[in-house]
Amino acid sequence: MTNVRVFVTGVGIISPLGRGRQATLAALQRGDRVIKPVSLFPVSHTEPLPVGEIAEFIETESVPRTHVLALLAAQEAIAGSDEPPDAIVLGVCSGGMPTTEALLKENFFDPFYYRYHATGTVAAHIARAVGCQGPVLTVSTACSSGSVALAIAMEMLRFGKARNVLAGGADALCRMTYYGFHALQLVDAAGARPLDRNRRGMTVGEGAAMLLLTAAEAPPAGALGELLGAGLSCDAYHPAAPQPEGRGALQAMQDALAGAGMNVSEVDYIHLHGTGTIDNDLAEARALNTLFAPQMPLLSSTKGATGHTLGAAGAMGAVIAVISVREGLVPANSACDDPDPELKLLPVMKPLRKKVQRVLVNAFGFGGNNASLVIGNPDLYNGGLAVRQARPLRIDGMACLTGAGDAQATMTRLIAGASVRGALNFEALATHLPQRVVRRLKRLPRMALTLAAAACTGKEGIGEPHSIFFGTGWGPLSEAHDFLMKLYESGEQFTSPTDFIGSVHNAAAGQVALQLQATGPNITMSGGDYSFEQALLTAILLNHEPGKPFLLIGVDEHHPVFTPLFEPAADRDAPPADGGAAFFLTPGADKGLSIFSLDFAHAWRYPQVIPSMISRIGGQNRIRERYAAVFAGIPAAYEESGRRQLKEFLDATGFRGPVVDYRRWTGEFASASAVAAFLAAQCIQRNEIPEQMRGQKICSLSDRGILLLGLGDFVTAVEVMP
Amino acid sequence: MEELIQELKVKIIETLSLLDTRPEDIDTEAPLVGAETGLDSIDVLELVMMIEKDYGVKIDNKELGVKVFASVNALARYIYEKRAETVD
Repeated sequence: MTNVRVFVTGVGIISPLGRGRQATLAALQRGDRVIKPVSLFPVSHTEPLPVGEIAEFIETESVPRTHVLALLAAQEAIAGSDEPPDAIVLGVCSGGMPTTEALLKENFFDPFYYRYHATGTVAAHIARAVGCQGPVLTVSTACSSGSVALAIAMEMLRFGKARNVLAGGADALCRMTYYGFHALQLVDAAGARPLDRNRRGMTVGEGAAMLLLTAAEAPPAGALGELLGAGLSCDAYHPAAPQPEGRGALQAMQDALAGAGMNVSEVDYIHLHGTGTIDNDLAEARALNTLFAPQMPLLSSTKGATGHTLGAAGAMGAVIAVISVREGLVPANSACDDPDPELKLLPVMKPLRKKVQRVLVNAFGFGGNNASLVIGNPDLYNGGLAVRQARPLRIDGMACLTGAGDAQATMTRLIAGASVRGALNFEALATHLPQRVVRRLKRLPRMALTLAAAACTGKEGIGEPHSIFFGTGWGPLSEAHDFLMKLYESGEQFTSPTDFIGSVHNAAAGQVALQLQATGPNITMSGGDYSFEQALLTAILLNHEPGKPFLLIGVDEHHPVFTPLFEPAADRDAPPADGGAAFFLTPGADKGLSIFSLDFAHAWRYPQVIPSMISRIGGQNRIRERYAAVFAGIPAAYEESGRRQLKEFLDATGFRGPVVDYRRWTGEFASASAVAAFLAAQCIQRNEIPEQMRGQKICSLSDRGILLLGLGDFVTAVEVMP
Repeated sequence: MEELIQELKVKIIETLSLLDTRPEDIDTEAPLVGAETGLDSIDVLELVMMIEKDYGVKIDNKELGVKVFASVNALARYIYEKRAETVD
C-alpha cells in the first residue's frame, strides 16, 4: 500500500447551535443565530457583551467546563465505533481556565481543585473515558488549534502510527477570553458580523467538535467524509494581528490544496475563518482573492451564528464541512447584511441547498498561526495520500537553560557532580536582543528566545529554520497570572492587552518565529510532563521534508504563585526549578547525532504498557545492544507508578548499563525531559556520562545511544543516537 | 497642560516598559506610534487601559485612537477636554 485515505467515520459537535450533529444540521438549515449577552458569569462594570454560549448541558462539579464539552463531542464521534481510538489529538486553548479563574477570584488556594488546570488534562480526560492507550496529544496554537489537531492526526494515519485517531478541538467560555478580546477592542458589541461593511469585531464563543478519522484504502461503511489535505503556516509578522495581505493564510490554503492534489477550481465551498474583526476578514479576503479570483467558490463564515469558538473553531469548521458534503447544505454567513465592498467577496447570505463535493476550511490564530483543511465526499476517489515513513532527526545544533545557566554552565556543573536545578535569573534571559524587542516579554518567551538563538548559533550555512515545534507543560504562567490579577484587582474593569496576547500557549513559539522569520508550521504542544515528547513526535510527523531544518524547543517557567498551585505533587519547600532545551534539527538524517521518538503510550489502566513498549521498540535484546544508558524521567506526581514502571522495564530487558534518574539533576519541571535530551546528546558527543550521574557503572557511548524514558501517566521512549 | 504632558510621558514609559527612554526623549508633537518610536497597536491598547484607569477617560474605538494618539500633546488635550466635560 503506497497510498492511504483518511476517512471521517464519526463526528461529534456541541456548540451554541445545539448538541449533536443532527441538532447542528437543523440549526444551520434554519440559519439560526444564537448570540446572546453573557450569562455564564456576572460581569460587573458594563453591559454584558454578546457571546456564543451553550445554553444547556450537564455541568459537573468535578471537571472544568472545557473538559465536559470535549467529552460530549468525543462520545458522539465514537458512538458508532466498537473499539477505542488508537490515538487522540485535541486542540485546546483555555483548558481548565474556566475553573481556575473562578477559584482565583474567590482567593481559594487549595492545589487539589486546580488539578485540571493544565491544557493537556482535557485530552487526558477523554483518553481515560474512552480507554485510549496510544498517544494523547494536545495542540495549543490559539484559534487554529482544532485544525492543527486534525492535520497532525492525518499525518499520524499516514505514517501508520494509528488506524484510527479521534481529533478535534474544544474551548469553553471564560473570563480570560471574554475580557481579553474586549481589551483588544476586538469584540463587536452588536455581535459578530463577518464580512459586513459595518463589522466591528468578533463574538467570543464556546464549543467542542471531534472527528473520528480512520485510515483505509476504500471508504469504510458509514464514512461521512474524507480529510483530503492540510496546510499549516505562520505569518511571522505580529503576535496578534494577521499579516495584512493574508500571506500566511494564502500559503496554508495553497499547501492544503496541493496536499489534496487539487486545483482551485475543485473547491465547491469555503468555510471561512471570518471572525468579523476588521483586520482578519480583510487579510483573509485578500488571500482568497489572490488564490481564487475571478472564480470564487461559494463561501461563508458561521461565526456570526455561533461566535468564535477559539480552539474548537477549526474542528467545528471541519464538522460543518462534513455536514455540508453529506447533506448538500451551504450554511449562511449569518449577520452580514451589507457585504463590505473592500473585501470583494459575496458570501452565501441564506442557507443554500446545493451539492458540495469538496470544502476548504480555514482557521487562523494569534501568533500568525494558519491552518487550512480540505474535506471531501468520501465516495469521490481522490488518489489518497502517500504513505510516509518516520525518520530520525539529525541534531545540528542544541542549547539548554537550567538553574546553572546556559549549555556550557550546565555541563560544567554536572561534570563537577552538582545538580543544575534552579531558576535562572530573569535578567540573564534574552540579553542578546535589544530591550525594545523584549520589553513586552515575560519569562517563558524570553527563555524561548534565548534557547532559539543559542541553538541557531553557527548554523548559518545549513539554512534558516523553517518551522518551530514547541513543547510546554504550563505555557506562559506569568502572563496568565498577571492578566487575571489585574482583572480582579480592578473589580474586573481593567486588564492588560499585552498579557492577554502573551497568555496563549503558542505566544512564545510565535515570538521565536518572528525573530527567525520562520514561516512554516508553528506548533505548540502542551501535554504536562510529556510536552517535549509530544512536540518531538509532532515534528517528526509534520516536518518530513529532507534537508529542511527546523527548531524543536521544550521549555517551562517557574511561577511563584501558579507553579505550587498547578504542579501536581509540587514540593512547596523545594527550591524553584525551570528551564528547557532547543534543538536545531534536520529531517532525514542517515548518520550523525540524531533524536527520534520511538513510542508514546497512555498508561492509564494499561497493565501491559511496559512489555508492549519494549516490544514496540524492538525487544529486550535490541534494547540491551543499542543503548549504553537509560535516562529515566519520573515526575514527582507519578513517583510510585514511575518507579514501578522503571523496575519492570529493567527486569524485563535485563538492562545493566547506567540508569540516570534525571530529574534529580535537572529539578522538577514539566519540560525537564527536553533538558534530559540535551544532556543525552552532550554525553554522546563527549563520549562520557558525568561520573556522579552514572554512578559506579562504566559505559562506552562510542557506538551506542541513550534511551530516554518518560514514565508515569504516560510512557514515552525517545532515543538519542551517535 | 504642561504638567499633564510631563505626567503622561512618565506613565507611557512605565506602562510600556520603555526602560531605555527618558521623558525628555519623547517628542511632545511627534507621532506616538510607528517605526520611529517602535510602538504599535498593542501598546496603544495598553495605554487606552492606563488612561481609562488613571484618568477615567475612555478611548474605545480605533478611529478615535488614531486621532488621540497622534502625539503626546493630542493625548493630553483629549484627556484635558474629556475631564473638563465630566466635571461640568
